Amino acid sequence: MKRFKYISLVLLLTIAVSGCTDFLNKLPENNVPVSAIDYTQLSNMYAPVSGIYRIAELANPGLVHWMDFGIRGVRGDDLDKGSSAGDQSQLTDIKLFHYNYASIQSFWGTNNCWNDYYGMIIDANSALAELDKFAANISSTDATNLKLNNQYKGEVRFLRAFAHLMLTRVFGNIPILTDNTTIQTIGKSSVADVKKFISSEMDYCISNLEDLRPNQSAHVGAVTKYSALLLKAKVCADLAGSDNTSTYWDQVISATDLIINSSKFSLYSDYYQLFKKPGKMCNESLFELQFTDFGTSSGDVIGPDAFWAFQGPRGDQHGSNISGWGFMSPSQTIVDFLTARHDSVRLKTTILFTDTKTKGSNKYAVTPSNDTIWANSDGVKYFNGKAYLPSSQMTAGRTDYGENNNIRVLRYADALLLNAEAKIRKGQSGDTPFNLVRNRAKLASITGATLQNVLDERRAELACEWWGDRFNDLVRTGQAASLLTGFVVGSSEYIPIPQTQIDLNTNLGK
Amino acid sequence: MKKKISFILILLSAFSLQMLAQNLRISGVVRDAETKETLPGVSVVVKGSSTGTITDIDGNFSLSVSDGKTLQFSYVGYETQDIAAKGGSISVNMKPATTKMNEVVVIGYGTSKAKDLTAPITVVKSEDLMKRTTGSAMGALQGSAAGVQVITNGSPGSSPTVRIRGVGSLNNESPLYVVDGMFFDNIDFLNTNDIADMSILKDASAAAIYGVRAANGVVIITTKKGTLNSKTKITYNGYLGYQTPVHMLQMADGSQYAAMELAKGTSSDIAHVTLSAQKFGGSGTKPTTNTDWYGELLKKSALTHNHSIDISGGSDKATYTVGLSYLYQDGIMKAQNNYKRFNLLAQTDFQAYDWLKIGYKVVISNSTLFSPNKSAFANAYYSSPLYPVFDATNTNAFPTAYASSTSIGYANGAFSNPVAAANYYYNKTNGLQVSPTVFAEIKLWKDKLLFKTQFSQKFADNNNLSFTPAFYVDAYQLSPNKLSSLTSSQDKYQNYIIDNTLTYKDGINKHHWSAMIGQSTRDERWREIKGTAANVPGAKEEYMYLSQGDATGRTLSEDGTDYHGLSFFGRATYDYASRYLLTATLRADGSSKYQQKWGYFPSVGAGWIVSEEKFMSQQHLFDYLKARLSWGMLGNDAIPANNGFSSLQTGTGYSGIFGSTSSSAGAYIPGYITQNFFNYLKWEVVNEWDGGIDFSMLKQRLSGSIDYYNRQTNNLVFYAPQPMGVADLLGNYGKVSNQGLELTLNWKDKIGKLGYTIGGNISTLKNKVLDLHGLAYKMTGVSEFPTRMEVGQPVNSFYGYQAVGVYQTQAEVNADPIAVANGLVPGDLKYKDQNGDGVLDTKDRVILGNYLPKVSYGLNLGLNYNKLEINVMLQGQAGNKILNMNRARRLWYSDMNGDAEMISHLWTGAGTTTKYPSALGTTKGWNNMASSFFVESGSYLRIQNIQLAYSFKLAKSASAPEMRVFLTADRPVIFTKYSGFTPEIGGSNTDLSGTGYDNNVYPTSATYSIGWRITY
Repeated sequence: MKRFKYISLVLLLTIAVSGCTDFLNKLPENNVPVSAIDYTQLSNMYAPVSGIYRIAELANPGLVHWMDFGIRGVRGDDLDKGSSAGDQSQLTDIKLFHYNYASIQSFWGTNNCWNDYYGMIIDANSALAELDKFAANISSTDATNLKLNNQYKGEVRFLRAFAHLMLTRVFGNIPILTDNTTIQTIGKSSVADVKKFISSEMDYCISNLEDLRPNQSAHVGAVTKYSALLLKAKVCADLAGSDNTSTYWDQVISATDLIINSSKFSLYSDYYQLFKKPGKMCNESLFELQFTDFGTSSGDVIGPDAFWAFQGPRGDQHGSNISGWGFMSPSQTIVDFLTARHDSVRLKTTILFTDTKTKGSNKYAVTPSNDTIWANSDGVKYFNGKAYLPSSQMTAGRTDYGENNNIRVLRYADALLLNAEAKIRKGQSGDTPFNLVRNRAKLASITGATLQNVLDERRAELACEWWGDRFNDLVRTGQAASLLTGFVVGSSEYIPIPQTQIDLNTNLGK
Repeated sequence: MKKKISFILILLSAFSLQMLAQNLRISGVVRDAETKETLPGVSVVVKGSSTGTITDIDGNFSLSVSDGKTLQFSYVGYETQDIAAKGGSISVNMKPATTKMNEVVVIGYGTSKAKDLTAPITVVKSEDLMKRTTGSAMGALQGSAAGVQVITNGSPGSSPTVRIRGVGSLNNESPLYVVDGMFFDNIDFLNTNDIADMSILKDASAAAIYGVRAANGVVIITTKKGTLNSKTKITYNGYLGYQTPVHMLQMADGSQYAAMELAKGTSSDIAHVTLSAQKFGGSGTKPTTNTDWYGELLKKSALTHNHSIDISGGSDKATYTVGLSYLYQDGIMKAQNNYKRFNLLAQTDFQAYDWLKIGYKVVISNSTLFSPNKSAFANAYYSSPLYPVFDATNTNAFPTAYASSTSIGYANGAFSNPVAAANYYYNKTNGLQVSPTVFAEIKLWKDKLLFKTQFSQKFADNNNLSFTPAFYVDAYQLSPNKLSSLTSSQDKYQNYIIDNTLTYKDGINKHHWSAMIGQSTRDERWREIKGTAANVPGAKEEYMYLSQGDATGRTLSEDGTDYHGLSFFGRATYDYASRYLLTATLRADGSSKYQQKWGYFPSVGAGWIVSEEKFMSQQHLFDYLKARLSWGMLGNDAIPANNGFSSLQTGTGYSGIFGSTSSSAGAYIPGYITQNFFNYLKWEVVNEWDGGIDFSMLKQRLSGSIDYYNRQTNNLVFYAPQPMGVADLLGNYGKVSNQGLELTLNWKDKIGKLGYTIGGNISTLKNKVLDLHGLAYKMTGVSEFPTRMEVGQPVNSFYGYQAVGVYQTQAEVNADPIAVANGLVPGDLKYKDQNGDGVLDTKDRVILGNYLPKVSYGLNLGLNYNKLEINVMLQGQAGNKILNMNRARRLWYSDMNGDAEMISHLWTGAGTTTKYPSALGTTKGWNNMASSFFVESGSYLRIQNIQLAYSFKLAKSASAPEMRVFLTADRPVIFTKYSGFTPEIGGSNTDLSGTGYDNNVYPTSATYSIGWRITY
């Protein structure tokens, strides 16, 4: 009996103590370490790049958050805040340049904006590190893959630079982040230095990206050499400001000339359809954020968060898909401007009317694509037509406003107008590119176009688009103080860095 | 002469002989019946006389007693014995009295007598738990134990938040629940009736034996067992009651809301009023619609009932228990929400040989929970009263013509129709949990060396069906693509624990010691699979399968965790004459969760039973007095496991879309994103010392204990916000201390036939951040209404401006540079410029209070007379603050409704109020900044429970069944100044409500019930 007892005891103890050490070395479930990627499989080399494109198409982080557009766009004179007066009232304070208000210092929107762009930059830096790991496995004799690796790096660097451009246009002096280990302590660089950084990044991209249109790329829609040329031109125009003697205008001319002389790009003939389904990834496109519903009536859909809904017509739309929160409404100023210059094509494209007709006690309007838009009780008269995807162009069964449409970022018309502006500033004729843009909008040509002609055309052509170009144009051409209420030169150009970020990295406050 | 003397001598001797014949000489030894040690100082008295003696230091006594008398032996802590006087030597064994001090208390991996404890352990009896009608046993504890804060949650089937001795961790504040040896995170699956007793190990020295899980305290629960040699006992317990919402928040009604909108003066706001009058009744700016959304959503009463029956008994070798119970709890929302739970408990112990005892126990819990749509309550808070529930003219709506707020000009999903939101919702969770335990106890050497091995398991299977029917109310309230959708998920738990312990108990004379060594192996496995599909028919639950939905767009995801743990532990105790006590424990814990694998957790405790000392034997003040001092270290492994490496995010969520053109739909190109910021976590370590006194005095009528504790958490893990949008990272960033005083007092007495008890407990808490690894502070919480971890302040304190009034006149505005710089008008709030520099900026923000109560208390009053018993329990807390997130939502939803108190007292002109801004002011960012306007006091006093009970026998005979009928009111009344639904803001630390943000819109309810218990 006793022996049985002791044997059983010893047995139990041995069972218990055995398997000691390995028992605690347990890998976490459902979590693959980065070290599990096979960097010798070069066919997977595009994957980190694809990841960054996806981030660009997202909101947090990413480029499409609605509030980020609100902050970028509301400062221009082509867009009003929209919606009801009390909704996101801080945007009204920003529009009136009251950056010192305590409610702006602690505004969630500016903090969100900062985090969205820098989040994307951080992911881009990680993607570049991944591409380096792939590069380590490319033999020096493998020219094809070496070229591809450099091209892929260029695509990521383009997206990283674009995010820096958005940041500096909103906040002014910002850190140039190329090393993720520095986020806790990195200090600011001046606006000029950031733009020079972007320009030099574009030089790398220009040498290494594909010499094709984005819609001809191996990955249809990827950024190419010409996207980089246009971005470089935009940044150089910013750096030149209103100084006609600046050599940056020469760089604008050479960059945009390369785009024009490649003969790869052409303006889409129908300005109205340019922003809708027929215009997706057309030959005018130099960069678009792509979204899709896969042509199906339900199920998986990739969309830009609330970007379209943010701008959709407000008020009871009687069950129509053409509806939204009603922000970013075109201003009376832009409506008057377009009406005065008899710019009917751009007027019907950019502006969605709401009160041209009456039915009983309700006012409404019918779009050129036959959608009815009912007036709202908030007094918002216009909605952004460039965000409008007609219900006739939506995939059957889909109900979200703008579903399946792409967000246009860079297009050929911008390159033509910059080319014309730079040439005129340098005393040359800008008529050819200028009139291409005018003719496309069914406007008569002008010979001997002046700088004001080009600036006006630019204002009409790019009205209400999403990247803050109108406000930026007013600032760089020195017209902001005269055209924007409350603008003070030297203090209204840039919004202060959010207090939350300064709390986390005190070097940002210096 | 000689004859006379001899006669007298004979007479004298006769007398003396007679006297000798009457006096017996009795001597003997008095011992403790259990320990067999001799007892000095025992009083030996001849009954009916004043003759007596006391035993000497060796327990001996010697006494002359006349024949036929009885000797009475009495001694404090022992049952008095009467023994008939017989000559010679006798051996007397005194049985320890079953006072509180002799009760058996369950401690970690063993039991102990209450008097031998060196740590404060609160024991809660089953009868006290049974007095409350709560679904969860922990809810029944509210207010009963000092240092234990319980926050209940209103919805059925929900678990309360339990905090023991403040908050020492920001990742998990729940204590560890050990039910029959198995570790659990909550005990919702148990029916209160199945619990035999509950020990709450509040203090590190008691809990250290559980090492790495014990940082927030340990609650040891033993389920019911049979007793040896007892006849079969059947108990039936039941109650039937109804729940009704209490302390309902009064929302602004139609006319108050309309007045506010008109006062704002913007076209949008006036339009809400005129459109309502136009469409739904009234005229001009006087609409008549006045929808009480909470009234529409809530029932007046919801049924709850509970039945349990258990049979237990035992022979001389075996014990058994079988218990069955059923609970039904309906929710107070007018949509399908209720909780049903069926439990089975079976237990058998058998003494197979005299050295081997084996046994098993199984607890099976089968539950079905229908959860309500909590966002319907949020919608009810925000929604304007100016539109009705139904609207036949809303022809686009299907299947039911609910009214839409867009018809009167609202354009935000927050203003969705609450009744529609509540009804277009189906969420059912089926849970089955089986927890079997088997054990064997082997007596290796007499009664001194005992080996116990126990194998406990937990198998749990939860299925959840979450179905949204195809519906449309307006452009913001519709099912995705106007189709139905189903999310079906299943998760499984498979845990086991093997405990082996070897215990040795011995003693020589007055020295006693015991040693216990043990080893424990643990595996916790969880796996979940979840899928969604659109267009699933939902008319019947039998149709709710993912395969019935559209094949395109069906998604699938899977996740799981598997943690291993290995521990070695030991305990040694020593006591001298039951007067000086010493306990020490050490546990080594290994966990697979972290890079640092092993942790060591020692503890030490000492006790001194002062009342046993000779110098105390003369005083009559204290019957029992014990002083304790203890120290221990604990770990907390409830923090998330960290990878320790860069991980990958792949799949369609991280793949770009290419080729989306006018003619082609576009497709994914596989992509991935790397997470480069990862946590390297060590577990949190809690260091605690405790000093306390247990006492009973005045003939054991007054008893109580006082404890002072000081616990420090090192390597505190919390999410530190990162710059530039990087996700918050967990790290071991700081040190926090919790210290306080716990006082428990109980008075029990009788006046004639009326017995009464008064009990109370009060605990104080001072929480302080000691260190943040070099930083002065870290911002946490919601960024617009932040909390702050600051060295020298309690964790997560609210931070913002101090609102000191309202600007009343334009002159006042003009005189204040801050008002001018910010474009203010009369009716805007005025904030204090703390540093007086004429600018309101971040330097003017201050700490506004904290969510942790400074004082928590409970009071218990009981009266019993003959068969009648009345009990009243009160509970409350003070010193905590709440951030009224519901009011703060106005920052995002400027035209939302509000509580009547605020809406009807807005500023309307000079001198009207100094508390609330104007109507237009409520829409301005300036008035919705983080400030003391939103931070309110959360102190409250609640009548927690009133019970009236009557016990009687069902028949005259002694063996007739006993019946107890009771009427109970649970949580009937609450006294508080807080302007929200309830000042009880629970939730875990990882969600918003856990740190004092009130976005709780589910009202609490009172339960009124009748119950009965039959014992046979």
